[in-house]
Amino acid sequence: MSEKIDLKEIDRKIQEIKEAAGELKQMAGEFPALERNTVRILASIKMLEINISDIVDY
Amino acid sequence: MTEGRIYWNPVLETLPQEKIRNLQLKKFKNIFAWAYDRSKFHRSLYEKAGIKPEDIRSFDDIRRVPKVEKSMMRDIQKKDPYPYGDALCVSLEEVSEYRQTSGTTGQPVYQADTWQDWEWWAESWAFILWAQGYRPADRVFIPFGYNVFVAFWAGHYAAEKIGAEVVPGGVLDTQARILKIQEVKATAMMATPTYVLGMAATAKNKMDIDPASLPINKITCAGEPGASIASTKSRMEKAWDANVYDHAGATEIGAWSFECTEQPGGLHVNEALFLVEIEDMETGEIIDEPGRRGKMVITALDRQAQPCIRFDSKDVIEWASDPCPCGRTFRLIKGGVMGRADDITKVKGVLLSPAAIEEVVRGIDGLSDEFEVIVDKKGDIDIITLKVELMAGAEDQKKEIEPVLVDQLRLKTNLRYNLEFHDYETLPRYEVKAKRFKDLRKKH
Repeated sequence: MSEKIDLKEIDRKIQEIKEAAGELKQMAGEFPALERNTVRILASIKMLEINISDIVDY
Repeated sequence: MTEGRIYWNPVLETLPQEKIRNLQLKKFKNIFAWAYDRSKFHRSLYEKAGIKPEDIRSFDDIRRVPKVEKSMMRDIQKKDPYPYGDALCVSLEEVSEYRQTSGTTGQPVYQADTWQDWEWWAESWAFILWAQGYRPADRVFIPFGYNVFVAFWAGHYAAEKIGAEVVPGGVLDTQARILKIQEVKATAMMATPTYVLGMAATAKNKMDIDPASLPINKITCAGEPGASIASTKSRMEKAWDANVYDHAGATEIGAWSFECTEQPGGLHVNEALFLVEIEDMETGEIIDEPGRRGKMVITALDRQAQPCIRFDSKDVIEWASDPCPCGRTFRLIKGGVMGRADDITKVKGVLLSPAAIEEVVRGIDGLSDEFEVIVDKKGDIDIITLKVELMAGAEDQKKEIEPVLVDQLRLKTNLRYNLEFHDYETLPRYEVKAKRFKDLRKKH
């Protein structure tokens, strides 16, 4: 099953989204709507990491 | 589109065991270091044992890590920050979810979760629901009094996560819930086994509705072991004409296991998110081979706010010997959770499991779903009283039922009982977790 899925490519895109979300959080400043929504995005990204990134080397 | 996809995560759920073990070891190191660096309680516990994060290199090293018991959590929570205590690994500002244990075994334990932990809860339940055949087309009814307990909150969020439609049946009473299932044509439901049976009895006896005629085609149970007890599962499946699946989890652990649609007579441990060890109850030796019962020591490998590292759950389990036909490589525990080490008590020198009594009572036609077991002492002798109810219309079958009950109890539990037959609907009814086992010997 795992041969058909390009885990490395998926992980690369997850890391891109994570970096962008992290940058958005840094830019939040006095903008709670930006900060709190990026906290939620980062939590969802963590679930992608648990599902994909953690097993990319296996 | 999603119908043919049998796994929530086709890579993790079919990973060879050797790779799962490597993943678990890597994750254990991470969560151990996380707790060591952030929690006063964990740092102190591990320093006393002389273990630092860099000492964890193998499963043998993991087994040297001190266990945490529920009683320790209660002491921890007397400390700051209130109300979680010094096992908390994040600031209070980062905590977004409060839950607590039901207090079945004493003072409730408070549980903090960040939003990431809450996503993780929903993720662990998503594995469960997908494995039990829930799909985006399902309309899931949740007849649960939404409150401080976690179980079906997480099921609710997971059902949303997998794309199903959720109908919350919060403050409705049982009859209103049944009518709502009928009205919205709900296809799936989550509840404790006690309540699944209670709803069916209410529908039949008070509303003249056959629950089997309702569109529910699958039910997920939690909170009690009933869905893994063959006779109880069979009663629920017959009553609702639906597949009934078990799942085991706990507030301070997470949703760590699930039955799949193959109904293999056991639960898959979600080994991607949890490390389950089985410990011999007398020697403390770790049991890796199938067929030997012991108590579970469990680690939630990704839970951060209030970590669960080598938690002594006292759940009695054993590994199954055969793999599951579903193709998942997550190991199975045979027969689900067989009870709690606390509940499996010695009576007349024999180990008595309330689950074994449940299996007998619910396997006999003519007896209702309810029963009560009371263990007491007369002088030095243990006395067990089993109260059962005859079904309405089966009042004249006592003579036939009694010898069958006596034989089955002796066969399955090796004990003799004082039997009391009661009229239908005279024993207590429960909506969530039932309290059918009472040990009064400690009161003397």
